Amino acid sequence: MDERAVRTATTTSIVVRLTLAATFLVFCFRLYSLQIVSGESYQEQAAVNRLREIDTYAPRGVIYDRNGEILARNRPSFVIAVTPADLPADDLNTDIDEQRIALERLLAVLEANTDPEMAIRIAEVMFLHLGREDFRNTVESAGFSLSFRLIDVEVIELDDEGREVVKVEPTLIPDFSEPLPIGGLLALLERAVAHGTQGSSYKPISVLELVDRERAFQVAEETYQLRGVHVLQKPVREYPYRELAGHVLGFLGPIPKLAAENYKERGYEDPNEPVGLNGLEYEYQDSLRGLPGKRLVEVDILGRESRTVNIVREPEPGLNLSLSLDIRLQEVMHNALARQLEETGAPHGVALAMDPRNGAMLGLVSLPSFDNNIFSEGLGAEYKALEVEDDTRRPLYNYAIGGLYPPGSTFKLVSATAALAENVITPYTTLVDRGPIYLPNFFFPDDPTQAQEFVSWNHKLNILHGSMTIVEGLGLSNDIFFYYLGGGYPDFMVGLGSERLAKWMRLFGYGETTGVDLPGEVRPIVPDEQWKRLELAESWTTGDSYNMAIGQGYVLGTPMQVLVSTAAVANGGYLVKPQFVQEMVDAQNQLQWQYEPVIKERVPVDPGLLAFVQKGMWHAVNGNYGTSPNSRVDGITVAGKTGTAEFCAYDPEIQDCTDRDHEGNLPFHAWYTAYAPYEDPEIVVTVFVYSGGEGSAVAIPVAQETLHAWFHDLRP
Amino acid sequence: MIRHFDRPLFFAVLLLCGIGIAMTYSATSTNVALTDYWQRQLFFTILGAIALVTAALFDYRHLELLAQPSYFLLMVSLVAVYFVGEVKNGAQRWLNLGIDVQPTEAGKFLLIVFFAWYLSRFQDRIRRLPYLLGAVILLLFPLVLVYVQPDLGMTVTLAFISGTLILINGVRLTHIFLGVAATAAAWPILRGTLQDYMLRRIEVFLDPGSNVDAAFSVRQALISIGNGGWLGLGWAEGTQNRLHFLRVRHTDFIFSVIAEELGFIGTVLVLMLLFFVIWRLVRIADLAQDQFGRLITFGVASLIFFQTFINVGMNLAILPVTGMTLPFLSYGGSSLVSMMVAVGLAQSVVMRHRKMDFA
Repeated sequence: MDERAVRTATTTSIVVRLTLAATFLVFCFRLYSLQIVSGESYQEQAAVNRLREIDTYAPRGVIYDRNGEILARNRPSFVIAVTPADLPADDLNTDIDEQRIALERLLAVLEANTDPEMAIRIAEVMFLHLGREDFRNTVESAGFSLSFRLIDVEVIELDDEGREVVKVEPTLIPDFSEPLPIGGLLALLERAVAHGTQGSSYKPISVLELVDRERAFQVAEETYQLRGVHVLQKPVREYPYRELAGHVLGFLGPIPKLAAENYKERGYEDPNEPVGLNGLEYEYQDSLRGLPGKRLVEVDILGRESRTVNIVREPEPGLNLSLSLDIRLQEVMHNALARQLEETGAPHGVALAMDPRNGAMLGLVSLPSFDNNIFSEGLGAEYKALEVEDDTRRPLYNYAIGGLYPPGSTFKLVSATAALAENVITPYTTLVDRGPIYLPNFFFPDDPTQAQEFVSWNHKLNILHGSMTIVEGLGLSNDIFFYYLGGGYPDFMVGLGSERLAKWMRLFGYGETTGVDLPGEVRPIVPDEQWKRLELAESWTTGDSYNMAIGQGYVLGTPMQVLVSTAAVANGGYLVKPQFVQEMVDAQNQLQWQYEPVIKERVPVDPGLLAFVQKGMWHAVNGNYGTSPNSRVDGITVAGKTGTAEFCAYDPEIQDCTDRDHEGNLPFHAWYTAYAPYEDPEIVVTVFVYSGGEGSAVAIPVAQETLHAWFHDLRP
Repeated sequence: MIRHFDRPLFFAVLLLCGIGIAMTYSATSTNVALTDYWQRQLFFTILGAIALVTAALFDYRHLELLAQPSYFLLMVSLVAVYFVGEVKNGAQRWLNLGIDVQPTEAGKFLLIVFFAWYLSRFQDRIRRLPYLLGAVILLLFPLVLVYVQPDLGMTVTLAFISGTLILINGVRLTHIFLGVAATAAAWPILRGTLQDYMLRRIEVFLDPGSNVDAAFSVRQALISIGNGGWLGLGWAEGTQNRLHFLRVRHTDFIFSVIAEELGFIGTVLVLMLLFFVIWRLVRIADLAQDQFGRLITFGVASLIFFQTFINVGMNLAILPVTGMTLPFLSYGGSSLVSMMVAVGLAQSVVMRHRKMDFA
């Protein structure tokens, strides 16, 4: 090499080495700035990356009846699921679809190709994964046809102020009566897996739910070589007595979308967490739920848990509820009422039993009922729940607290008490039933043909009751007697009148909800002069007072209110709040809460006077010609009051009330309300049968059987 | 001759390979599908070491005879790729010869050998423009073919290596200015041919918000590095690595794994090893007995330097994201073996730097 070349080479090598050193230093400097100067900030970001707080559900509280029978519990159940990420991927170099083969094998293991019920259950789960549109498209593009039907889904939702509102949504659902062929199922499964792959492909997709232990183990054994198939555990709420206490217990479901915000504020972070949607499950949701635990876990980039770093808080199991309800009594009431409904063809009815001393509810039956297991039995069965909601008789509706009906003669307990307390009559005042009475027309008082006729039920049977005191008046349920109490008669006596009737109606609790610990209770109005003027733009007439005194006209109440008003007569005038849950006990069996009976204001009537109303109820069962001798129970004195309430279910199509008989008479609701023992009441029973006809014939047997069972078979 | 075998260089390379195996294990042990990768890397290291020694024993001067065939072979294979190449991930880079082969991997050496020969052969005349232009044109043929595959990273690598060789061989300043001016004039045309993915990478580098995916990779790399602190989280303990927040951990971002698990101290030591290897190569180039050997060694050094610079720069977010691996450390058999062969060539040069050796 010549000299110049050597010099160039030396310069080059110096430049090269300087470049190397400079690069090295720049890298070191940058490393220092990242790792040391900003290290702490990056370490925090790394922690944010990998650490998550995860909720662990606490076991939900168990619900017991008064004798410790389990009414609601948690049953371990299994879900068979596939994890899309773990399924064998389709190798594009081969003609066969590996994923499809794996899913086909899974369906074969589940016997979907031979067992039609299994095929239907899987299709139902897929329907809930995919939604209606996608479900139909997938099945149809796989070359299978599908029929649909429209049903109304009724859901209880919370409005802005946290009140329950019933919403009806018409919904199309596929007709699953015929199982899908295996090809259709496979297409659905592939579709669901494809959906899963788009989200977090490590999230398992359920294929079959509610698998019992034995079957789950069997599938687990058969699928151990099937990659991506898992058997997961998922507790299911179980109600061993099924439809017996459906309305009392309620059911669980995922948090309703409309109420999501409300639940979030209360600390419900998972929108899919099952919560009580009805009954006690709803009312005591927070207590039953307990407190979810919190774990700090390390997750990878896909959100998969790799390990638990720290248990922040152990889950606190929910409180167990002890009810005053006696499931055996409930069963007697249920069966008796169901039999009566079947015999009369009545669409629905209610039977209630309560301890009048403290309001402890002993039984509540609202028929038709529903098996609340179908709501908690996971996704597949939710579909069956839709069918229940589809029933036009509305089995989900709790008629005991949600239905408003004219109370009929059971309301005479209120009018009688009012008349005595307001000195309209004395206990010894006699009034005479001489047949129908006529109220002169307001505008033509001298024209008898324009007068309004008021009859008592006995007139239709050509019976006159003659003279009677309040005791016989109640015992025979004579309407003439109560017309006089309610509205008086010109030139003869002054009745209670609208204002005093309304006042006593309120005093007996009709203006308020009873406060029973169940959701969905309705509050009726109390009709008075002002109400009628505002609502109907008419003035109150004596005839209105007549009707009101016998529990007709504008008077409405729920069966629960009739029960509470009866209890007030039985216990000497105390308005009690009906209550199911008496105690809450934690998982260590420590008492956490005990119900203190709420006795509202006492009805301001002298107990001596009220005793005559009680006597009237005694007379109805035990006196001469009483209305309800059939409710007698051996060895126990029963007091009761029947009710036969005319009602009008207005049908705009015929512009008249439905179900009139051939003479044009309106149909009747049957009522019976009773308590026993007469001397020292410990149980009140109220029975209501919608459009059941005569109270004595339809409702009394249910009450009688209930009381008989209570005193002879069940009472401790 | 054996006396002059550069043992510090050899052991530094083996040490880097060892660290590479360990870090490959750390980066792949949490992925069921990749658990045997460290064993493969170990196998390739052994294979590479044998290749290194074999290359060292081979007299580099025989390569002068192979220079022209090298160029011919490179062009033939690139043309073949252009017409019958396998397409993977939207790029046509592979030839199916039983197994898929990427000709550009070997192309780096073929080009180094060819330019080392061309430049040393015409060293006295290279200051004349036609000879320089000849070199540039001979370089442009393969560059264009690689560029249309498309493989921007490889194009830039080849241009860098060849450019370095031309510069080191000696160029007139005026010619450099001419070259820069020509490139500047051609830029608008070049720019139009840039593939979308290339533009996006540049964009992402300038504005990390514009591509969520790539920006995410870089962000996670920075978090991993920062997470290391002074001493690191310990081998196979890096959370960013273990929980897969870091992407392509065992190849493109192995440097971030090293930084997270070995910390500032460990990473600086690894960088020192890498630069020590390059330093030793530059020393060999200085010792070379002829211009051909000198240029070959510089080619090898610039190859290792360029890949280190681009990869570490990307990990430290001072350069855009490219799929370039870190020499000796990133997982990958062909890259590792070819790097070892390259070091072997340099060893061959240093072993023969004395014209006569009687010792």
